[in-house]
Amino acid sequence: MDYGLSPRERAWRDEVQAFIAEHVDERLVDETRLRGNEGRGAEAQRFLGALRQRGWDRIAFPEEYGGLGKTAIEQWLFIDEIETAGAPMLPLTLTSVAPTILRIGDEAQRREWLPRIQAGEVDFALGYSESEAGTDLASLRTRAELDGDQWLVNGHKMWNTMAHMATHNWLAVRTEPDAPKHKGVSMLIVPMDAPGVSVQPIHVWPGLRTNAVFFDNVRVPRANLIGERGLGFYYAAMALNFERLSIGSAGMARRIFDALVREVRVRVVDGRPLRGDPWVRDRLARLRVELDAARLLGLEVAIRLDRGEVPAAASSMAKACVSELAQRVADTGCEILGLDGQLHAEEPSALVKGRLQWLYRLAPMLAFGGGTNEVQRDIIGFMGHGLPRK
Amino acid sequence: MQLEPTLEQAEMRRAVREFCSREVTIERLLDWERSGVGVDEATSRKVAGLGWLGLGLPAEAGGGGASLADVAHLIEECGRGLLPRPLLARMRGALGLAWLAPRSPTLAAVARGERTVALALDERDAREPAGWRTRLAADGCHVSGDKAFVPDAEAADLHLVAIGAPERPRFVLVDRRAPGVSCAALHSFGNEPQAHVSYREAAVLEVLEGGLDFDDWRRHQVALALAEMIGGMDAALAATVGWVKEREQFGQKIALFQAVRHQVADMGTRFTSARHLAWQAISRLASGSLGVTDFHSAAAWTGASFKQICWTAHHLHGGAGFVVEHPLRFHSERAQSLCIRWTPEAPALARIAATLLD
Repeated sequence: MDYGLSPRERAWRDEVQAFIAEHVDERLVDETRLRGNEGRGAEAQRFLGALRQRGWDRIAFPEEYGGLGKTAIEQWLFIDEIETAGAPMLPLTLTSVAPTILRIGDEAQRREWLPRIQAGEVDFALGYSESEAGTDLASLRTRAELDGDQWLVNGHKMWNTMAHMATHNWLAVRTEPDAPKHKGVSMLIVPMDAPGVSVQPIHVWPGLRTNAVFFDNVRVPRANLIGERGLGFYYAAMALNFERLSIGSAGMARRIFDALVREVRVRVVDGRPLRGDPWVRDRLARLRVELDAARLLGLEVAIRLDRGEVPAAASSMAKACVSELAQRVADTGCEILGLDGQLHAEEPSALVKGRLQWLYRLAPMLAFGGGTNEVQRDIIGFMGHGLPRK
Repeated sequence: MQLEPTLEQAEMRRAVREFCSREVTIERLLDWERSGVGVDEATSRKVAGLGWLGLGLPAEAGGGGASLADVAHLIEECGRGLLPRPLLARMRGALGLAWLAPRSPTLAAVARGERTVALALDERDAREPAGWRTRLAADGCHVSGDKAFVPDAEAADLHLVAIGAPERPRFVLVDRRAPGVSCAALHSFGNEPQAHVSYREAAVLEVLEGGLDFDDWRRHQVALALAEMIGGMDAALAATVGWVKEREQFGQKIALFQAVRHQVADMGTRFTSARHLAWQAISRLASGSLGVTDFHSAAAWTGASFKQICWTAHHLHGGAGFVVEHPLRFHSERAQSLCIRWTPEAPALARIAATLLD
């Protein structure tokens, strides 16, 4: 066994690191923290433009459709470097919607959407969850009925992040009301400027914005239904390789931990260096070990992908582990910083730019979002250990 | 990255697994435990005959010339299969000798399985070499001191004795039957015969030199412990998965209870991360590319994970896994005794903290 990088992997990592050194600065990192990973501020747009120039926006695409042909381990290295640097990850339009259209769309749909996505003309919000359909996504009620050559959409979506900025919504809708709930859902592309679409902001705890989106007799061309009618639940659940690699990245937690360590090295409390406190040393060392362990769960996902396996259990392990570890990093960090740990980033005297309290507020979402950790543990049990379902 | 065993390593693993499932039955483990010697002569001869004791010894001495990684694959399977601890101690002893003195004239007999080596390192009041009080006489030919918790001390032919020295520890080889050597057997858990050993002007057979320095030597020994722990925790996890699929309570398999399922999931996650951290450390040590904290992280996490997985395994097995006839408790005992001897968590964390903060 060899955990060292191959010459090709090392060259790729070096290239990514050089790109980061050139294009990631404090302004971009601060903007990403303030607007969230999916925010598209001016700095993020500039960064995304630079990624596009390199062709790296297509890293999640299949090679036959212009993808970079990177192995899963190379994609994992890319994600790890970007996350650790604090730069915004590629938007879901490029890592989720586009690869899904390539996989399930027909030729006309690929010609219609792919060039526009790659040109940055269209950007998607992902409309899955509803008030009564969160973890139980198959219970969604937003419906689309065929009326001539158009779909008539009625209903609402919750937690529709980016909907206020996106040009389109990648919407899970019920098209077969009489089918079993898992088999009656389809994927529909809905322009956000279509009459009948309205967006209401939802402000969440970490200071980020998401949205509730309402669809009132919204008319959409028939051709905007992507893939087969009734298979939308499976398309939504069909995690793609890049997503499987991204969801369990320990990069963000590691970055904030490193910033905390830098602060502890120089901080003086009660006239003594904070780094001399035994409990501080013990807690930081434990977190460092956990971060080292969590990072390698991401590698496990990549290994299995490169073997041609579907790493459902491995990516669930990484997601559950990293999200809960982020909570411990945030909690421990706030405690180590003491009363300073509660200060917002806007406060000039905030230590570590207020990142620990920000992570403390964000971390709950990491555990329940993207599939709750209870569901992840069920997947590990079923798919990883062959435990019975019935 | 190349994270699969080679074909040869995979074949060796398969052979070890078959041997252990055939030869290391729960009945024999109980017999060996009751006998107090940990293993019978016939099994010892079989293992020596397979060449496992000499696998990592230099080819010039008649050993297998295998790499640290090769040996770690062997040890991982031995840990999974609960190979008797005296045999594992003899593998450690043989490797310990070869790593300290690769040109030792004694290695050939060790490689042939004719002589075995016990590691006499620790002392009752000293966990670090600076505190060792065992000394070499001025003539350089006799050793005096008291070593504690020496595995396989009474059965081994030779003792590899650590000598305290102001600058760095030194090591000598002593015949266990030499005048001045006396062993007092200990009863401890872990199914591992151990003894306190007293050396009084005992004749030195050989001063060991020309190999790894002590820190590197110790890391190699810890690597073997990491591999053994990975094998053990994999076995404990597999046993638990099998058990919860079969065990019925309240009219259904207990695996159908989400609370049970989630504990198994956490065991699997812990095992997967520990396996990677351990093997990353082993492979980097073998290739000379060890990062500053790689080894300490692996030691802290792997040891703690082995114990945690065993505890959860016990919990989910309930009383069925609590009886002495169940193999699970052998893994749990090894988890703790390996951690105490080779991968104590607190010192590893202290070293990580020093790297981060000092």
